[in-house]
Amino acid sequence: MRILIVEDEPDLLVSLAQALREEGYAVDTADNGDDGLFNAEGTDYDAIVLDVMLPGMDGWEVLKRLRKTKKTPVLMLTARDQTRDRVKGLDTGADDYVVKPFDLDEVFARLRAIIRRSANKTTNIIEVGDVKVDTAARSVFLKAKPIELTAMEYSLVEFMALHRGEVVTRTQLYEHLFDENEDSFSNLLDVHVSNVRKKLGAEFIVTRRGHGYCIEG
Amino acid sequence: MKLFKSIKWRLQLWYGLILVVVLAGFGFTAYQLQRNRQFRQVDDELHRRISVLASALHRPPPRGQNGNRSPFDQPPRESDFGQPPMDGLPQGQFPDEGPPEGQRNRLPKFLLPAESAHLFDGSDAHGFYFSITAVNMSGHKEIARSTNYPSAPDVEFRSAHNVNRVDQIFPETERFKNSSKISSMMTFDNYRETLNMLPSGEMILVGCSIAPELKELRRTALNLTAVGGLILLVGLTGGWWLVSRSLKPIASISAAAVKISAGDLAQRINVAEAESELGQLAAVLNSTFARLETAFAQQKQFASDAAHELRTPVTVILTQTQTALNRERDAASYKQTVEACQRAAQRMRKLIESLLALARFDAGQEVLRRTDFDFSETIADSAELVQPLADERAVKISVDIEPVKITGDSERLAQVVTNLLTNAIQYNQPAGEVRVQLESQNGLAVLTVTDTGQGIAPADLPLVFGRFYRADQSRTGAGNAGLGLAITKAIIEAHGGTIEVASQENSGTTFTVRLPI
Repeated sequence: MRILIVEDEPDLLVSLAQALREEGYAVDTADNGDDGLFNAEGTDYDAIVLDVMLPGMDGWEVLKRLRKTKKTPVLMLTARDQTRDRVKGLDTGADDYVVKPFDLDEVFARLRAIIRRSANKTTNIIEVGDVKVDTAARSVFLKAKPIELTAMEYSLVEFMALHRGEVVTRTQLYEHLFDENEDSFSNLLDVHVSNVRKKLGAEFIVTRRGHGYCIEG
Repeated sequence: MKLFKSIKWRLQLWYGLILVVVLAGFGFTAYQLQRNRQFRQVDDELHRRISVLASALHRPPPRGQNGNRSPFDQPPRESDFGQPPMDGLPQGQFPDEGPPEGQRNRLPKFLLPAESAHLFDGSDAHGFYFSITAVNMSGHKEIARSTNYPSAPDVEFRSAHNVNRVDQIFPETERFKNSSKISSMMTFDNYRETLNMLPSGEMILVGCSIAPELKELRRTALNLTAVGGLILLVGLTGGWWLVSRSLKPIASISAAAVKISAGDLAQRINVAEAESELGQLAAVLNSTFARLETAFAQQKQFASDAAHELRTPVTVILTQTQTALNRERDAASYKQTVEACQRAAQRMRKLIESLLALARFDAGQEVLRRTDFDFSETIADSAELVQPLADERAVKISVDIEPVKITGDSERLAQVVTNLLTNAIQYNQPAGEVRVQLESQNGLAVLTVTDTGQGIAPADLPLVFGRFYRADQSRTGAGNAGLGLAITKAIIEAHGGTIEVASQENSGTTFTVRLPI
């Protein structure tokens, strides 16, 4: 899962990014509206955390322009908790909002929720055959037995599970699993896929030659 | 008694009381006038008859006239008084007991002259009646009495009463003085009587029943009471209506005030009768409400802005600490977290200090430590203080100041200068210039700070001294909450000075401070 954070307060941006990375997300950051919009338009993020008060273009404007091209789920960070601000945010196309000061756990939960909703899932549990993925606990079970996965392996499983039945290209996987700072080698993805197959069964991820990977629904 | 504390009821009560007094006074006067008029008519009639009787008593009767015998020169015979001298004439009668023998001859005898007979109708119980009594030193003797002389209360009582009256009214010493005319008017039961003492010693009583007049008077009184009651009723109703009508604006004022005190500051009193005193009151209250509403809105906005400014550093601290505590970290990582928290805390401290300073200036509680000092020195110190920031941005500060002694809080005024200089540097273009001038003009110390920055849009000029105003929505640095110019203005105004701003977009901004020397 790859996330963009647009926030101008450096101390907040740093800790938010760190916390989300530790949650297993690939995180890109921007500290002003223009950079944020540029990033958001150029990459398929799974979600965007967008502050309202930004230098240059403010959060509302970024959201308005982004919605012309992308449906990326957006979580607004606002310091104003007045109803009209929330209404404005939701009407402009925000998927959810959190009011500062917030709890990190709440931000995580809301991010999971908007990502899930964008994938048309209603619960945190995704079941694929014998495999059960709990996106809230970030854990995977095979025949009700917990399986130890690395953060990257989990992200791969989660992304594939959320897009079950679809063919996911390698480019998509690179885009969603790694952030812009990571030097990714093309065989890195193969290593992760191979490790997942070892742990969850060879048939869990099917290779569609020339297209990508798929989890059969 | 809550009822009588209400203005409406008290007004009504006073109004009613005044109305009752006026009506009662009017009714009483009208009644008295009517009574006097009626009694005067009766009295005139009585006096006329007294005169007739008096003259008849002392006039010799015309001789040869049939039946008209003078009571004076013929010896009285008992029978003369027993029968009417003429048909239709009232009968004069002696009382049953005759006068004492010795006096008999001296007593005048009386017969009513024919031409006056119509004045006394003896058969009419309600008509005029008379009684004539001879009074001398030895006693009283009734000479004649008309047949319709009222018998009730009983004759004896009345006779005694009349005699007593005579004694009371005409003291013995004066009784036989040749006084011209002594008379007394009395009302006795339903009768009006006049008692006259003639100089010759006779006492003539003429009376008549005033029952019809009294009846008339009672009817008048009844009418007056009824009309008065009606007027009172109409008056009270009208008064109630008037009072309600004139108090209606008060009701609407208090209704609006209740709504306002319930928190709806947008409420206004309907000033329909603006020309009345209450309309003026309502207008005054409305403008007060308007000022209150504005003040409340500003206060609310201020509190909201202040809370908003505090949210960001609190968010930083929360996020930093939560992230740090999520797992074991190395010392460098913890140090970073603590440093970030420190920055956030310092930002909050600065914000809180600014807010407190503003609040104290607002409340007039900020005490200025006034001393005499040279303002130019303060400016030079401040310019030195901000030099590193200017160097950082390659901004040149040119100072053109002359010594000006002023009285004021040097620390606070140094804050003003530093604030203005910092702004001039921060909003300047790179390699720009800040010009600081100080001169003495007309008893004022005039400080101007001019930058070569991007300027302020005309629409924003009135807002720059407002709270939480920022030239840009962006945060140009932690701790810049947009309170600096608001505090600057508060300090200058506390010194009795003024601050103005003039700006040309894309060429620069000038702040002019004028302080009394």
